[in-house]
Amino acid sequence: MSSFLVALAPLLVVGLGGLLLMLGEAFAHRERGGSGPSADLAIGSFVTLAAGAVVAFSLWLVGPENLGGAAGVAPFLIIDRFTLFFDIVLCVGGALAALLAGGYLPEHKLDRGEFYPLLIFSTLGAMVLASAGDLLSLFIGLETMSLGVYALVGFRRGSARSAEGAVKYFLLGSFAAALLLYGGAMLYGATGHTDLAGIGAALRGGTLTGADYGLAIVAMVLVLAGLAFKVSAVPFHMWTPDAYEGAPTPATSFMAVAVKSAAFATLLRVLVSAFGDPASMSWGTGWPPVVALLAVMTMTVANLVAGRQESVKRMLAYSSIAHAGYLLVAVVALMTQPGIAQGSILFYLLAYTVSTAGAFGALILCGSRGKEAVSYEDLAGIGHRHPVAAAAFALFLLSLTGVPPTAGFFAKLYVVRAAIGGGFLPLAILLLLNSVVAAYYYLRVLVYMYMREPAPGAPVAAPMRSGYVTAALLICAAGVMLLGLWPTRSLELAIDAALAAR
Amino acid sequence: MLTAYAMVGVFFIVAIGFVVGALLLGRLIRPNRMYPEKLQTYECGEEPVGPAWFNFNPRFYIVALIYIIFDVEIAFIYPVARVFRSWVNQGLGWFAFVEIFSFIAVLLVGLAYVWLKGDLDWIRAIKGDPRGAQGVSARARAAAEPAPMDEAA
Repeated sequence: MSSFLVALAPLLVVGLGGLLLMLGEAFAHRERGGSGPSADLAIGSFVTLAAGAVVAFSLWLVGPENLGGAAGVAPFLIIDRFTLFFDIVLCVGGALAALLAGGYLPEHKLDRGEFYPLLIFSTLGAMVLASAGDLLSLFIGLETMSLGVYALVGFRRGSARSAEGAVKYFLLGSFAAALLLYGGAMLYGATGHTDLAGIGAALRGGTLTGADYGLAIVAMVLVLAGLAFKVSAVPFHMWTPDAYEGAPTPATSFMAVAVKSAAFATLLRVLVSAFGDPASMSWGTGWPPVVALLAVMTMTVANLVAGRQESVKRMLAYSSIAHAGYLLVAVVALMTQPGIAQGSILFYLLAYTVSTAGAFGALILCGSRGKEAVSYEDLAGIGHRHPVAAAAFALFLLSLTGVPPTAGFFAKLYVVRAAIGGGFLPLAILLLLNSVVAAYYYLRVLVYMYMREPAPGAPVAAPMRSGYVTAALLICAAGVMLLGLWPTRSLELAIDAALAAR
Repeated sequence: MLTAYAMVGVFFIVAIGFVVGALLLGRLIRPNRMYPEKLQTYECGEEPVGPAWFNFNPRFYIVALIYIIFDVEIAFIYPVARVFRSWVNQGLGWFAFVEIFSFIAVLLVGLAYVWLKGDLDWIRAIKGDPRGAQGVSARARAAAEPAPMDEAA
């Protein structure tokens, strides 16, 4: 009876840790002028989320198929290697955001304890989302994740820009969730199932009448649109730059990393388990052309617009949209090469998590109280003023560009390989062309950091120093280099995880 | 199967047609005599005062939000109470008891949090605002203190 507790251990550890930290914060007595909540909670949150990752990894070593209780929670939560892989990615993303917040919030006078429980519970929702094998638990996970993130975006209460981002994100997010729910209701109407496997079996069985089949197709489009919003694919990306820019930078990092990973996890699960039948997976009658169109639009539009941004944070927001586009190319390749394409997506998300969290962390270090380094001009000459931050920023941007000794190179390589192997040469070529465009705006940051000096008389952003942020940067840098120098082992793990999802 | 949905479709068409028809009819037969007072924002018959963007006290919303804790609690406990006997008969009584108890415990943590943070106090001190400083517990004042986040942007 209690063996399912073991299978759910990663979720329980994170959830309990979040509750305890929340209680600890409520009972804490703080003197005026003393240390703020971040001093206690940042480390606590980091430990909680890291513990979640460790527990997930130990379940991986035990093997989820050996856990008797895992079957007890199916199909609502599916505990397999796919889930555990995402548990680790999401916990790492959340833990890095907690460390970044430990440096960022006190520096920018945003030091309120609520940030950390919201972050932890959002991560918990993301983990539920990644493991959901039923439309109901999928929706609960999605909302648990999103509600926390809406609040995190609006965390800078006095700022109109933050409020704008939060309201925009909330309204569009609710709309997307409604689309997803509507699609789910139609799927239930057409097939009589809410679990993804049951829907897949009904579609595969070919027993649906013409009208029901049409209903299932409409539902597929609605579900796809709802999830495309969460991965911020063009044309569902309008909220992304504003929300990312308005949110405090650690929350931006969390959104770019964990929310996107969880959305891709559930996108994969829905497409593979529910819409994995031969008809839905074919180019003529299924979702691949739709996803391919999304991928092409997402890559191209995001990269072209990102090149025109003057704010580095906004540029990184558009860059995260572009990366969603690259990932969607691999999603299309699921059609012919399911195992390899999924493995490449999982590896890409891992590499993208450490690179993006690191880039946002370096951006935090480049600015200080009242003067966030937002524009390229603010970064001028930072290579001399703050060599460590500049070097870290350069490393993570090179990884996002896809320059060889870094994680980003192999991530892109595997996605391109999956696309070419799957017979989608035009998509692979477009991806490479887009990477070249992206190199322009990533390398522009390096040019400003190392080759420009601030204009005389211009206000110079005093760089901040913070042990938390430096620690996060070290972890990210280690991840980027490890995945870049020894990619084979982690790719094998990713492919293991991918095969388990089928 | 599809005919069942046709009812819904007819309902939608009639509903939309009713609204559009009523508005169209009104537009066709009403006189059109506009003067400045008519074009003002309606504010319960009063003349509108000041802009619509101003700060107002959110305490009602906080209380409403906290009420949801109890509301949701009841909504979820009721079905459990309904099936509890059959669970006991299956020998799963303790399981159901522990499960619903942990659910309540999680919600109680939320209640404890807002209580300790002073959100249940009707009168709260805001930093720099001498009004309302009396009658506020020391803890609520302390909780209201670390909120000077508004100048950052």
